Amino acid sequence: MTTFLTYTILGLVLGAVYSIAASGLVLTYNTSGIFNFAHGAQAMFGTFLYWQFQQWGWPAWLALVAVIGVVGPAMGAALHTVIMKGLRGTADVTKIIVTVAVLLGTVYLAQWVWDPDEARTVDMFFGTGAKISVGGVEVRYHELVCLAAAVAIAAGLRVLFTRTRAGVVMRGSVDDPDLLRLNGHDPERAAMLSWALGSTLAVTAGVLIVPISGGALDADQLTLLVIDAFAAAMFGRLRSIPRTFAGAMVLGLAANYVLAYLPSAGTFTGNLRVSLPMIILFVVLVVLPQDRLRGAAVRTRERYRPPTVRSAAVWGAVLIAGVYLYSLLLSDSGITTFALGMTFAIIALSLTVLTGYAGELNLAPLSFGAVATVVAFHFGVHGTGLDARLNVQGILLAVVAAALVGGLVALPALRLRGLYLALATLAFGEFLSNMVLRDTTEHKLFGIKFTLFPGGSLVVPPLRIGPLDLRDGTSSLMTATVLFALIGIGLAALRSSGYGRRLAAMKDSPAATAMLGQNLVRLKLSVFMISAAIAGLGGVLMASATGTVAQENFTFVGSLGLLMLVVVAGIGYISGALAGGLMAGVGSAVLVATFNDLALGHESMANVYTALGHLVLVMTALVGMGVGRNPSGFVHDIADSYRSLRGARPVLYGGGAVGAVLYVLAVTGVIGAWTFAIAALCVVMLLPVVGRMVMEERGSRETPLELAGVDEPYTDELRGKLDRALGLPAAHRPARPAPALRGEANAPA
Amino acid sequence: MPLLETRDITVRFGGNTAVDGVGLTMDEGRITGLIGPNGAGKTTMFNTITGLQKPASGQVLLDGADITGLSPAKRARRGMARTFQRLELFLSLSVRDNVRVAGDVLRSAGRKRFDVDEATDKVLERTGLTDIAGRDVSDIPIGRARVVEVARALMTSPRVLLLDEPASGQTERETEAFAEMLAGLAGEGLAICLVEHDLPLVMRLCSTIHVLDYGELIASGTPQEVRESPKVIAAYIGTEEAVS
Repeated sequence: MTTFLTYTILGLVLGAVYSIAASGLVLTYNTSGIFNFAHGAQAMFGTFLYWQFQQWGWPAWLALVAVIGVVGPAMGAALHTVIMKGLRGTADVTKIIVTVAVLLGTVYLAQWVWDPDEARTVDMFFGTGAKISVGGVEVRYHELVCLAAAVAIAAGLRVLFTRTRAGVVMRGSVDDPDLLRLNGHDPERAAMLSWALGSTLAVTAGVLIVPISGGALDADQLTLLVIDAFAAAMFGRLRSIPRTFAGAMVLGLAANYVLAYLPSAGTFTGNLRVSLPMIILFVVLVVLPQDRLRGAAVRTRERYRPPTVRSAAVWGAVLIAGVYLYSLLLSDSGITTFALGMTFAIIALSLTVLTGYAGELNLAPLSFGAVATVVAFHFGVHGTGLDARLNVQGILLAVVAAALVGGLVALPALRLRGLYLALATLAFGEFLSNMVLRDTTEHKLFGIKFTLFPGGSLVVPPLRIGPLDLRDGTSSLMTATVLFALIGIGLAALRSSGYGRRLAAMKDSPAATAMLGQNLVRLKLSVFMISAAIAGLGGVLMASATGTVAQENFTFVGSLGLLMLVVVAGIGYISGALAGGLMAGVGSAVLVATFNDLALGHESMANVYTALGHLVLVMTALVGMGVGRNPSGFVHDIADSYRSLRGARPVLYGGGAVGAVLYVLAVTGVIGAWTFAIAALCVVMLLPVVGRMVMEERGSRETPLELAGVDEPYTDELRGKLDRALGLPAAHRPARPAPALRGEANAPA
Repeated sequence: MPLLETRDITVRFGGNTAVDGVGLTMDEGRITGLIGPNGAGKTTMFNTITGLQKPASGQVLLDGADITGLSPAKRARRGMARTFQRLELFLSLSVRDNVRVAGDVLRSAGRKRFDVDEATDKVLERTGLTDIAGRDVSDIPIGRARVVEVARALMTSPRVLLLDEPASGQTERETEAFAEMLAGLAGEGLAICLVEHDLPLVMRLCSTIHVLDYGELIASGTPQEVRESPKVIAAYIGTEEAVS
């Protein structure tokens, strides 16, 4: 009985904190229409500051007042003003990506400021000793504070939303901001207020939850801990505060009862407890009633030009040739890293088809890679030691498994809006990470003994198909490149087929597509399975290029980073997948590693180089936050600028020549491979600029008459020209400025 | 028996009753008008008939069969097609592909022998869109964009065609050609329901007109009968007292 009571109280306390975090999420979602994936990261950042203030010798109460009274609101208001305000009228995908970028940026920043290798703890309010006894069970003051705060906040929000003017304005600001404006309210102020409040609630939850879950402060862990509150918010369908509150309690209690009553031997129970919120999130998704089909709520600003199969094939050949030529310049380790990047690019292609073509989201692409890797490891390896190899059957099986698991994960969410599919994938990613990739105990099922993830890491050997052995770095790189090109061409063909048109139609207007007789669930399911299969293939190749993989290779943060980089590059484009994947696989890894090496090599400059390494990560997240302004990605801009170069052949030839010279210099060893890569990139970027300058010098472009006066001052010469074009007797008009146009022309002579 | 019939449809948004016990009929080969002031519930009726909106009570019958519980896609496959008041074109596709994708859906749903390209060309020709077939659908004037929606709906070879303000944004000449096309389609046996604010157009084309006001059906009948109904006059220009 005491056990029951103890865990019930602990469960209610945990539920109370979940409810605080979840209500903040519901609040911002309802006033701005943005589901804030960065909610947990905000909580984390506030809690780290709370810790920091105390390190500076502030008393706990002052630190608390500072983070809840100042840091929380300021962070929310700033987020709204700088970023979220600009997201009105963008696609749901863009909104989600921007908050994901905020999440990543905040985590990177926290890891920069507070070295993750140092241990930090946050204490309970009034210390762990301050407690009272309820029915023989000790309850700490801190826990009482959690309960009281949750009740007060829930009641306060309920009153705010239903009784006060400010709350009603908040609710209206997502439905129809223009109408609010007409009624004399300021929807932006209401939205800002709600962001400030939401952020404060997040910080409050963060400060409360760390002491009750062990006290250790870790950026990644804390961010995920608050994400668990997503499940509670789902109970209230992201709308109802009381139901969110109830959901949070269920979640808190369930987590503690699991701990109390399941056997604690092995890793299973602990893993289950950690992933329980995500399992519950998934279950709630299954039972949620179907959404009303909606039309294109927003006229998206994204523009994509799908490639023809022919041009995709040509570019594929160019890519293969280019990668081969470049690989000749690289050292063995460089080739290995490059091959790894190429496998990330293949995973990125899974996002191109899913998000770029069909407008759906997968927040855990790496997790499907992990599924495939586990399957390939168990069923596709033959030989041992250095002779161990993956076989083709194993990879095929792995790809099929990834597709099937993908279908299972997506199915419950497909009746719902895109956001829910994103959440389902998130839940799956967390579940897999905790339950499968940490499952090192032996299971017995139908008399067969097996261990899912023996020893916590898998050694995935290279693939061998007949004479082709990927142990050799170059053949591994070239195989990945050829596969990327083939899948890319396949996707181009898919996009220009009837199936691709149906995907585009569904992305643009689900309601209109359904009215053509299209079963949307079936279409979404098929495209999600295709996407998961591609992610699976890329994942196996990635694992085998890495050699030994562990849970850390398939994390949530890794998946989000890849997704964000692909969106920044251009998620509708195959080249966007290439650029985004390479940046995720090679780019940041190499840059950060390089800076670290430099820091080790030049001790006097160590600080500068380490800072630069961190800066690179934070900068990429900053670029991600700006994606609302340019949702088509930078690949789109580059392609556009090259299109305008068509008239300037000599510039293109010149660029090619410079490239060839650079390459010869690199092959002969005059410049290094890195110098070559950077110089070549510069040439690619600068070419359109040079081209524009050259074309302007030629002056072949003449402003069309109807635009005269728009881009340049309206001169008398232009006026004369216009008059002539209109057949007016202009020759003897006195050369006089504007007034002539206004009255005199009509005045009697 | 009417081809399409609604019985006692009621739709509520929260505490607000948008449609209250409305029964409509549409016949094969006829153009039926559905008119009423703004906010009368016309589009809500369309949404309910096509399955985008669940009614609180009432039934929708197609060819005598109750289809109230069917999804929009299933209703479409039974021969229902519509256009939208707020245009729902596929902005990333060209005019031609907007029409063709309807054929792609049909083909994927089992009509293997169906020649999508040929059917697309026919529909484009018939609706007079051939000249802009290659254009981006976001670049064309709104009047013609409405015709693209009609063409896309026709591509599904429907039996019932629901048009939500198809003539708004069209020039006078476009409306003329459009009216002629609708009459031709009805002549081939299509049941057409027209929601439209261009009353002369409705009066000229429709054999039966239903009038909604504040969610209630206030009149049904021939154009002549509707024109003379005191309730309709009151709804459109207000009662005598209100005017004076």
